[in-house]
Amino acid sequence: MVQTKIDIPLITMVGPPNSGKTTLFNYLSGKNHKTVNYPGSTVEYNTSILRKEFGLHAELLDSPGMVSLIPNSPDESVAIEALYNHPEFGQPSIVIITADSNQLTRHLILCKQIIQSGFRTILVLTMLDLLNKRGYDIDELKLGLELRCDVVKIDGRNGKGIPKLIESIQNNLSSIKLDAERKIEKFKVPADKTFLLKSFREIEHIEDKVLTIHEQNSQINNLEKANRELLVLNGVKKFSHKIDETTLRIDRHLLHKYWGLVYFFLIMSLTFTSIFWLAQPLMNLVDTAFGYASEVVFEMLGYTWYSDLISNGLIAGLGSVMVFVPQIIILFMVLGFLEDTGYLARGAMLIDKPLSKIGLNGRSFVPMLSGFACAIPAMLATRTIPNRRERLLTIFIIPLMSCSARLPVYALLIAFITPPEKPWLGGIILSSIYIFSIISSVVIAGLINKFRKKIINAEDSSSFILELPTYRLPKAKVVFNNTLISSKLYVQRAGPMIVVFSLMLWFLTYFPNTNPRVQSENISPMQLHQLQSAERLSDSYASDLGKLIQPIMAPLGMDWRIGVSLVAAFAAREVFVSSLALIFKVTGDQETIQQSILSAMRSAEIEGSGNKLFTIATSIGLIVFFVFAMQCISTVAVAKKESGGWRIPILQILIFTSIAYVLTFIAVNGLRFFSVE
Amino acid sequence: MKKTASQLNFGETATISEIDTSNPSFRRIIEIGFTPGQEIELITKSFFNDPLAFSIRGTLVAIRRNEADCIIVS
Repeated sequence: MVQTKIDIPLITMVGPPNSGKTTLFNYLSGKNHKTVNYPGSTVEYNTSILRKEFGLHAELLDSPGMVSLIPNSPDESVAIEALYNHPEFGQPSIVIITADSNQLTRHLILCKQIIQSGFRTILVLTMLDLLNKRGYDIDELKLGLELRCDVVKIDGRNGKGIPKLIESIQNNLSSIKLDAERKIEKFKVPADKTFLLKSFREIEHIEDKVLTIHEQNSQINNLEKANRELLVLNGVKKFSHKIDETTLRIDRHLLHKYWGLVYFFLIMSLTFTSIFWLAQPLMNLVDTAFGYASEVVFEMLGYTWYSDLISNGLIAGLGSVMVFVPQIIILFMVLGFLEDTGYLARGAMLIDKPLSKIGLNGRSFVPMLSGFACAIPAMLATRTIPNRRERLLTIFIIPLMSCSARLPVYALLIAFITPPEKPWLGGIILSSIYIFSIISSVVIAGLINKFRKKIINAEDSSSFILELPTYRLPKAKVVFNNTLISSKLYVQRAGPMIVVFSLMLWFLTYFPNTNPRVQSENISPMQLHQLQSAERLSDSYASDLGKLIQPIMAPLGMDWRIGVSLVAAFAAREVFVSSLALIFKVTGDQETIQQSILSAMRSAEIEGSGNKLFTIATSIGLIVFFVFAMQCISTVAVAKKESGGWRIPILQILIFTSIAYVLTFIAVNGLRFFSVE
Repeated sequence: MKKTASQLNFGETATISEIDTSNPSFRRIIEIGFTPGQEIELITKSFFNDPLAFSIRGTLVAIRRNEADCIIVS
């Protein structure tokens, strides 16, 4: 007897990669779209209630793409295990399996195994338009008889065939009561190593029987048609597997031995710059909006402890989450677009060899690229790497990618060390920082790979087998939907952590001296508030904490005030800037905030020594620190979740932060040795 | 010596005669469609000569050189 754990029927969707499963899921899914984790693992499922207009109340579960029911990686084992008995949903009432009709033999392997396991199965054939264009068609009734399951043809572009699928689901559900005898058994791997070859032969045989000539094809003249009929009748090999001509023609350029790499870097630089330049104005907008909201709170509630909590704790915390949303949306859109055209798989192929030299995989590339925007979506993207060791190593080095939260920090420090008469120097320094961070992350990845037994603690035989899908125009709906889901996931993952940390930080900087006495004559309420904030901070728990780490900061030529800002940067790196502003009692309006911080930085001295706190040496030291240090609390949280334990994030904090400290020490003291101050 | 798929030249076609089951990835290779009797063509080599992309059963599949070594062709 089939057992679901929910009170409505469960329809699970499975299918090989590139079989049109996601498109179909988007057609069928209605509201309540959720992404759920298989408990205790990183395997993820999209779930949804079947769209209302179909008149059926059923839960839809989209499982990760799989090639067969024989697992090749731990994640696949989990996905297959969940198909038989999902801990939350139970056993599916119906399994819908998608198969590309142009790839019938390859894609029916999984279908056969699923039917063999005893599931009530509906086979959905996709991409018939391509098959028809080649002059063939499939007799779905015959195929259904051969496989003993319902077969439905669906056109992913316009949803043709969906009513038939719903009808089939309905029929299956109404006859489910007859299923008392049905037994679902796990697919066992036969001892015979050639069983897969046998399945292939059986399916090839079936394919020969069900392929027909596509009648309405006007492009094929009668003679050719007659020839084909003849071939079919004679049982000669009727169906030649040919690759799409357009795809081959495009690949002659994009996968060209030499030019391929040029195109690759061109496309990736375009992707990379678009992430930054398109997102920048939107990010500024979000930033301004939250800044404005902050001010409004003070205006409405006056300068009290609760308005401070709402404004500097809550709104500032939310702001530092939301400011990255535009960039993440654009990142996912551009990557989704590239993925849907079929190029991303080719990019992974082109870059596989050099990455495998440092223990990574071609599939590590996209996550690493995403890491330049934000480490959180980047770590989520490592799920496409099937090999556990390579996946963990990718997660490990992602924090070294120069994420955009570092940009405001670099901008401030570069502005400090660049002479005003040479503004062009700033751009050069920034590019050098990026190049420096790329080179050093390659070196560190190589080193970590050397010691991987101690650090990553996972061995897995490395492989790279990747289907390069037929090029096609991306479907806006799919790209848009996936972008929406992924961005939501970012806010859910990073949001609570950053907000909570930001509230904690507010607490540390506000207490215990909540009502400091300051000279209040002849100043506006706003200036009074700023003076009080600065005074409060210098007596706060945060400054106690800072003074505690003073001995650690001293060898770097820095003092507790930078120390506090570095601690604050744990909420998110860009908080470093606002924290400096607070500590150096910067007062001023929004437009000139950087100028006022800069002048405060220029006059700041190390307490009790009279030496300048910010010099070229310490500024470069800080840049070096930010290149390497593991600072972002949400990254730590996501690394823990994605790697399935504390081992990786704790080692990341230890290794990256000590590298940062040592190199900063060398940079500062080295520069001083050559009397660069 | 047996010829493997990794020894094919650019644009050369061959028929798979057997799959070496001593390679750890052999099952994956079969599952994706590389079975004896199938015709394959080396469509492209990447800049570093690894991975290689083959046409198999009407689709393009990229595999590493050491994986192509378990595909024995004639």
